[in-house]
Amino acid sequence: MKWFSSFGFQRRNRELQEEIDAHLQMAIADRVARGETAEAARQAAVREFGNIPLVQDVTRQMWGGGWFEQIGRDVRYALRQLRKSPGFTITATAMLAVAICANSTVFSWIDGTMLRPIPGARDTDDLVSLQRGERNFSPTPPFSYLDYRDLREQNHTFTGILAYHHDWITLTGGALPERAYIANVSANYFDVLGIKPVLGRFFLPEEESRPVPNVVLGYSLWKTRYAADPAIVGKSIEIARHPVTVIGVAPEGVVGAMPGIREDLWVTLDPLGTDVWRMTHRSGGAVWLNVIGRLRPGVSRGQAAQDLDTVMHNIVAAFPDDHLGDNRITLDPMWRSPFGANGYMAATLPILLAFAAVVLLLTSANVATLTLVRFVSRRRELAIRQSLGANRIQLVRQMVLEGVVLSIVAGAVALVLTSWTSKTFAWFFPANSNPLILNGSMDHKVVIGIAVSSLLAGMLCGALPAWRSAHAPAIEVLKAESASISGGSRNRKLLSGLVVAQIALSLPLLVCSGLFLRTLRNLAGANPGFEQDHILTASVGLNIAGYSHDEEQVIRHKILDRVSALPGVKVASLTDWIPMTLGHKGDDAYPEGYVPHPHESLQVYHAEVAPRYFESLHIPILEGREFTPDDDEKAPRVLIVDQTAARRYWPGQDPLGKKLRIWGGLFTVVGVARNSTHIFVNESPEPIVYMSFFQVGYETIVQVKTEGNPVDLAPAVENAIHEIDTRLPVFDVRPMRESTQMASSFAVVQSALAGMFALIGLVLAVTGIYGVVAYRTQMRTHEIGVRMALGASRVDVLRLVLLQGLWLTGIGMALGLAFALGLTRFIARLLYGIGANDPVTVVSVVMLLGAMSLLACYFPAHRAMRRNPVTAIREL
Amino acid sequence: MNEKDQYKNRIELLQGTLDMLILQTLQWGPQHGYGIVQALRLQSGDVLQVETGSLYPALHRLERQSWVQSEWKQSESKQKARYYRITAKGKKQLATDLGRWERIVEAIGSVMYVKPGESES
Repeated sequence: MKWFSSFGFQRRNRELQEEIDAHLQMAIADRVARGETAEAARQAAVREFGNIPLVQDVTRQMWGGGWFEQIGRDVRYALRQLRKSPGFTITATAMLAVAICANSTVFSWIDGTMLRPIPGARDTDDLVSLQRGERNFSPTPPFSYLDYRDLREQNHTFTGILAYHHDWITLTGGALPERAYIANVSANYFDVLGIKPVLGRFFLPEEESRPVPNVVLGYSLWKTRYAADPAIVGKSIEIARHPVTVIGVAPEGVVGAMPGIREDLWVTLDPLGTDVWRMTHRSGGAVWLNVIGRLRPGVSRGQAAQDLDTVMHNIVAAFPDDHLGDNRITLDPMWRSPFGANGYMAATLPILLAFAAVVLLLTSANVATLTLVRFVSRRRELAIRQSLGANRIQLVRQMVLEGVVLSIVAGAVALVLTSWTSKTFAWFFPANSNPLILNGSMDHKVVIGIAVSSLLAGMLCGALPAWRSAHAPAIEVLKAESASISGGSRNRKLLSGLVVAQIALSLPLLVCSGLFLRTLRNLAGANPGFEQDHILTASVGLNIAGYSHDEEQVIRHKILDRVSALPGVKVASLTDWIPMTLGHKGDDAYPEGYVPHPHESLQVYHAEVAPRYFESLHIPILEGREFTPDDDEKAPRVLIVDQTAARRYWPGQDPLGKKLRIWGGLFTVVGVARNSTHIFVNESPEPIVYMSFFQVGYETIVQVKTEGNPVDLAPAVENAIHEIDTRLPVFDVRPMRESTQMASSFAVVQSALAGMFALIGLVLAVTGIYGVVAYRTQMRTHEIGVRMALGASRVDVLRLVLLQGLWLTGIGMALGLAFALGLTRFIARLLYGIGANDPVTVVSVVMLLGAMSLLACYFPAHRAMRRNPVTAIREL
Repeated sequence: MNEKDQYKNRIELLQGTLDMLILQTLQWGPQHGYGIVQALRLQSGDVLQVETGSLYPALHRLERQSWVQSEWKQSESKQKARYYRITAKGKKQLATDLGRWERIVEAIGSVMYVKPGESES
């Protein structure tokens, strides 16, 4: 139907053209008959007829017709107008495209991470992440199996609660051992997530706590390592040299329940029967599970938390010794789940999206300025249309449509750009031992986001100026000469307002990016408390490769001996943790003689380190001694605590000789190490205890202090380890400085984006004020000429123009400062070594913006000053 | 007559009178747009100059209101042109318009030509 009417439109259009042609032919014929030459007659007839496209346009409007035809007409008209000024069209489209892309890029990152916390899972909005005790930015798994089981069975508010433990393992049995990320999961894991297998089945309830060596493969592992074998179900594969049976394959894209972290395969909680201890205890090393629940329909998070608190309260009452400290339960939606990457995302990305929105507003204001100036110069045309019967609504609609057409094109460009920029998020995260799968995604939500923001921008930059311009009374405009159409006071006010808005919006962007950049510099320059240059680390997959415990110990000693003997190695040590890599181990510790405050968390960070660890990292031992080779399994268990732990547990006492109970065993403090950074440079100091690697070490990381560049030594270290046993998997061989970059990657994201946005803001604000001052100065050329003729000096003219611009800048900056001071409170948490209202930053930003605006006003002022008053007066 | 004088002598058409003038012109038979302009100019002694920018929109509007009908025909000079013809409905409209116009003229006339003595009584 619409197609037909548009077809009819074509015909009528053609007929109108013919009608006008006929009119002209007859007029020419008459004039020729009166004795004019053919050429003169043609020219006169055309002149007499007037503006042909305009007449056609107004006539077409009389046809009325459907909504579709009217819009079609308006679009055609808008396109014609935009084609007429390609400079404006290209500039405005490019600016809008960049601003929309800034928004859609950040949004695609949010979409790919926070809004898609568990790929493949059903209704992730109903899922909540459980946390016990004190809230922490990077918590360790909070529940024991028995506590989890009680919560699962005794609650009334969840349709299901799952538990998992994320770990890594070696896949053996192939030519080379391969590291894989694995999760021990409760039997209902896939059920609660709402995931169905593509092959075979998932776990059965009776398999959950019994030693059943079954494994579910992830889709990509199945494809890559097992060549997508369709008959894989029922086959036996080797994990850490233990045969296990494949019972199913998860669908494509399913990577587990920890946001931003990849899991390659899944087993039950105790598949080999080696974890009986953790399955039957409620504290110490048995606290190892992350828990996620699916709320019953209609149940709020608050109700669910209350319900679980009641259950937990009963558990604590029944087993008080296992639950010292804080046991309150808090629930987080998955988009900000503290387990996995989303905690960090939720702290960073929404703020960046807000910045991007400010950039879009700023750009819209800038494009609105350009549009307004254009409309003012088109006022005569608009007035004619109005006098020919177009009503104001029609005019506004047409002008708004011009803005919308612009922004649709800009949106399309942004869409193309975003399909690339959404994938750049992964660039911010250096190679590290975490299986991070963070990246943006480009789905329908992002497309809708682009559509909405481009339409809003289009309305903003079309509607405001259009409404203003259409207000002008037609008769006056038609009669007035050009000098006085330069813009009534209304337009002048709107122009000024737009310039003020641009400055007021760009100032907070600049302040925030300044604060972020200085934070980044402070982080880079901060002393983490250890020496990380000339350190090489290499993970050895020893514990996961299936050796017996005694074999492991022998191999560890061999590694230490061989690597120490390498030329270029100053000090070699072993550890099972690298600081500042986002990961840490934590367990409850019960210091002897210490009475915890009510609800105090007793969790401490811990690391297991071999002799000379502190020496290689230059962490001074303030009291007592470092570990020695004698602190082995036969010797009494020993500990080194840091200053924070010493002060907290034994204030005013000598910590040496004090005892701490961890995992049910007693450890004696033999030394106090100076505080150093654990996860982030800007963290609040948490107590850490170091245990002897040869007593309780688990994972094996070789840590080498080298003489030269640590990278050069990497092959030698790897060789030395493989000489012991070629089947030993070695991973993540890299300089420590590279690994610790992980700790500042979010600061890099923040400052990179905020910096970019601020730069865009600065350019827009400065070009905005330049454009408006230049335009207004040009409109006042006549007046300036008169002033000069009457004796105003060039300096007077300069001052006149400059003052006008600086006045706007001043108001804009005052508003911007107020805006900035309000806004920086929200980023205060992300700053380091600098206050949210840091005067140096604020003053430098104000000076920068002031100087740039001055420069922007100076050029038009200078031009006005150099005008010859005589020509200036003549110019209308 | 130079252009400036022409401009001075022209009278801006009162709102709504163009429709009536067009319909009146078409009373004497179908006519094309150019013909209507010429006829109006001649009959008004060069005073009424209808802008094409007003004429064509008006013609197309009248056609949409079914006051006129149009068809393509050859003119005497073998020029193919679109001829407009007044419809019965258009004639009725013209009568209405004319009646209203006469009342306006009468009303304005009685204000303008009032005798000085009468106004002070």
